[in-house]
Amino acid sequence: MSYENPQVPHEVNVGGGGAPLAEFLRLGAALVAGVALLGALLYFAGEHLARRVPFALEQRLVGDRVVGLDLGPAGGKADPARAEVEPYLQRLAAGLAATMRLPDAMRVRVHYADVAVPNAFATLGGHVVVTRGLYERMPSENALAMVLAHEIGHVRNRDPIAGLGGGASLALLLALAGGDVDALAPQLAALVQRGYSREAERAADEAALEALQRFYGHSGGGAEVFRVLARAGGGTGRVPTMLSTHPADAARIAHLEAAAADWDPRTQPLRPLAVIPTAQARAPAPADPGPAPGPDPAAAPPAAH
Amino acid sequence: MELLIQLGIFAALLLVGLVFGSASERRHFREIARREAELRDVLVFNEKRPPQDREYREATLVIGSVVIAEDYFKRIAAGLRGFFGGRVMVYESLMDRGRREALLRMKDAARARGATMIFNVRFETSSLAEDAGGRAALFSAEFIAYGTALVPR
Repeated sequence: MSYENPQVPHEVNVGGGGAPLAEFLRLGAALVAGVALLGALLYFAGEHLARRVPFALEQRLVGDRVVGLDLGPAGGKADPARAEVEPYLQRLAAGLAATMRLPDAMRVRVHYADVAVPNAFATLGGHVVVTRGLYERMPSENALAMVLAHEIGHVRNRDPIAGLGGGASLALLLALAGGDVDALAPQLAALVQRGYSREAERAADEAALEALQRFYGHSGGGAEVFRVLARAGGGTGRVPTMLSTHPADAARIAHLEAAAADWDPRTQPLRPLAVIPTAQARAPAPADPGPAPGPDPAAAPPAAH
Repeated sequence: MELLIQLGIFAALLLVGLVFGSASERRHFREIARREAELRDVLVFNEKRPPQDREYREATLVIGSVVIAEDYFKRIAAGLRGFFGGRVMVYESLMDRGRREALLRMKDAARARGATMIFNVRFETSSLAEDAGGRAALFSAEFIAYGTALVPR
């Protein structure tokens, strides 16, 4: 009987299916694409469902809280400017809202925040916030009305709660995937709070133009808002274009100017702001307040959300 | 920003695992091929009974054992494979290295005793560094080959 060990080829168990790196990249790309697709699907489903929440329920849940901003004690005795400006803002918003055919139960409450960064945003429960920085920069009541009507447009389209619903579904996906939600949530929230989608912004712009047209008989002065914001922000260069969901300011200004093409400034003059806070009237506002930190970091980039 | 830092650390670990892990694997395979050629005259069989037609001076147990650890790249690549299913090639090569290295060390031990044949050769494999839940910080496995070395008279 003969005993021998035949030579075995080296590659009997290894290197059967190509380089491990190529396989890793292929599978990794498939996984990333799958997760992104699932995330987008969940986000839009969350948005869609959140818009179905009755506004009355949203308002009851939120109450008097202004999500995203700490306004301090209600009544505004700490800030005399707020006590002067807020009723004016509320009056103007009520007038605009009357032309915008809001659903019956929908009420908009406007707040004036003592924040130097020019910003305005609509948040949950029909609350709209206008900052001191924005108010001081408004060249006319028409421009201010443009901002308010834009934010009321967001409220009417349920954009704040839709953003919340989308973000919540993404957080759910992360939790299901076993990810560290606590560690990732702030970044996710920042991404979501960058602003609403281009479509939502465009829809709010359209709603605002229509409201201006009905309220003043012309839509002039609206474009001025974004010119002022663009100047205040020194361009939107700080925000990467990928993350910026606001249509470029130039395109937006051009669109608003085109909408107000039949406006004649001589026969239809812009109205000045009816209320100038006394503190501001005594000491003229500084030309540029600089990057004073607001109470909410997400509100820092100057923009009309 | 924190997310970017975390991703950067992850990518760096992955790259280190890929570069150093595959370099050491290539070196190990070259060495294995060289030593296998060198030890070809020590024959191994899984047959239980030694040949009855010759005489032996000594029959003794010889053992070869080795522990091999994965690298970070293998770990992540295997995790991905575990998600999609299919051949886990990064572990196939690791297990192959382990078995062949254990066999070579057993042959070394046999040659040191002057043996030319090893009978009843068996392999054992066990994974190390696992906790009760079966999770490990980094997977490593021990490979043992053992058999009965026969020293001819």
